[in-house]
Amino acid sequence: MAYKVDHEYDYLFKIVLIGDSGVGKSNILSRFTRNEFCLESKSTIGVEFATRTLQVEGKTVKAQIWDTAGQERYRAITSAYYRGAVGALLVYDITKRQTFDNVLRWLRELRDHADSNIVIMMAGNKSDLNHLRAVSTEDAQSLAESEGLSFMETSALEAFNIEKAFQTVLLDIYQIIRKKALAAQESASGTGVPQGTTINVNNMSDNANKKPCCST
Amino acid sequence: MWGAPAEPADSYYEVRPECTDVPVTKFKIKPGKTLSVRKWQTSFAPDGQLDIGKTLNRIHRGGIHPTIRGEVWEFLLGCFDPKSTYEEREQLRQQRREQYQKWKNDCREIFPVVGSGQFITAPVITEDGGDGPNSTEIVQELINRGPLDKKIIDWLLLLHQIGLDVKRTDRSLVFYEKQENLSKLWDILAVYAWIDTDVGYCQGMSDLCSPMIILLDDEADSFWCFERLMRRLRGNFRCTESSVGVETQLSHLAAVTQVIDPKLHQHLETLGGGDYLFAVRMLMVLFRREFSFCDSLYLWEV
Repeated sequence: MAYKVDHEYDYLFKIVLIGDSGVGKSNILSRFTRNEFCLESKSTIGVEFATRTLQVEGKTVKAQIWDTAGQERYRAITSAYYRGAVGALLVYDITKRQTFDNVLRWLRELRDHADSNIVIMMAGNKSDLNHLRAVSTEDAQSLAESEGLSFMETSALEAFNIEKAFQTVLLDIYQIIRKKALAAQESASGTGVPQGTTINVNNMSDNANKKPCCST
Repeated sequence: MWGAPAEPADSYYEVRPECTDVPVTKFKIKPGKTLSVRKWQTSFAPDGQLDIGKTLNRIHRGGIHPTIRGEVWEFLLGCFDPKSTYEEREQLRQQRREQYQKWKNDCREIFPVVGSGQFITAPVITEDGGDGPNSTEIVQELINRGPLDKKIIDWLLLLHQIGLDVKRTDRSLVFYEKQENLSKLWDILAVYAWIDTDVGYCQGMSDLCSPMIILLDDEADSFWCFERLMRRLRGNFRCTESSVGVETQLSHLAAVTQVIDPKLHQHLETLGGGDYLFAVRMLMVLFRREFSFCDSLYLWEV
């Protein structure tokens, strides 16, 4: 298996950042991983990465976040991009209606290429620009409900809900994986799992759908 | 002068004072090494033929003095043959300027924002060639005239993406505080997308085009330098449904690394980076994002 190199974490989760060009994906990433916001941020070319290690339910989780170019034609590299992703932050810009309308296209993209169990959080970014709002919170909420997504409005500039959005995604992933691991162990041993057992997702061979990231 | 101290070059590409996290430039103008104005001027024969060998030697040793970068680059990029005369070059330059103007006029006729000093960042047309929520009167009028040609639709679909990127290109530089420079960048990329229908516009191209605008005063001259650069690089930006052009270079990089440094390759594989996706940006914009503006120009010319 991959991760012999670094044993400083219990879990490694790959999360992809997707959404139209210019909605603020890269600044969400820099806010979350380095607590930085860059007014002079540049367009993303291809794929860029960053990680942050944090605690989820007492476990050390390393979030490996893949940030992509918003332009559609870069989607051709998608298979590698979505491979092994267990979470996705689907970002739109609350001041640009079109970026919200395209959420459905991004969802289709996710459903075509990513694992069916992927945890998806829709993020309405740039909430600090409320005076320019073009997408109501209600509209977004109802879309999120009908598509079965979590939803939050965020602001990378004001550091609003960025932490919370990622925490929520990571917790959801963790819980899914834990449930699966418990189920797997239960069916394997026929008994319940004693409390406090450490479960290594990387060794869950019967959990083929939830590949750890980058296990190429 | 020999022995004179090296001069920093950052002042030639002024950074906005509020931008503090830009990379520091390592390039320095080194007397006796960097191609100087004087050396450059004496490299020409009376009729204008250039002794390119001697010049290249100099450039290789110490780069080009920022004040002459533009004119030297026209030769480096192949816009002009070093063996040509002043007169021939002037003729060619005029022809090219006219050609650019003609293309720009064609674009302008379809979409008058081109050449207006403005640019757009929101889509003006839907993928099936209908008018979207942001369509301007211009586009509506265009659509009313009858169904649009696919070439026109494809081009119009790129314009807002170009705008979104133009706004974000080298914006730490004072140069891009001026709206006219932003719209120049947008115009050139729009015209390029119009004539190179295979590539159109792909994110990253604005990073490649930006230096040309800074180095050359005339918009058409900048365009032709960019066009020359794209001849070498456009393969990376060509996309199909299932691939991006740069993947070819990525696989070459993987193959080369595997041979010259198998341990490194193995390590990357172990980390899950065996597809070398991390190098996409380096290859597509030729390390522009890894170095300061000035250093990347130095890297390109050397």
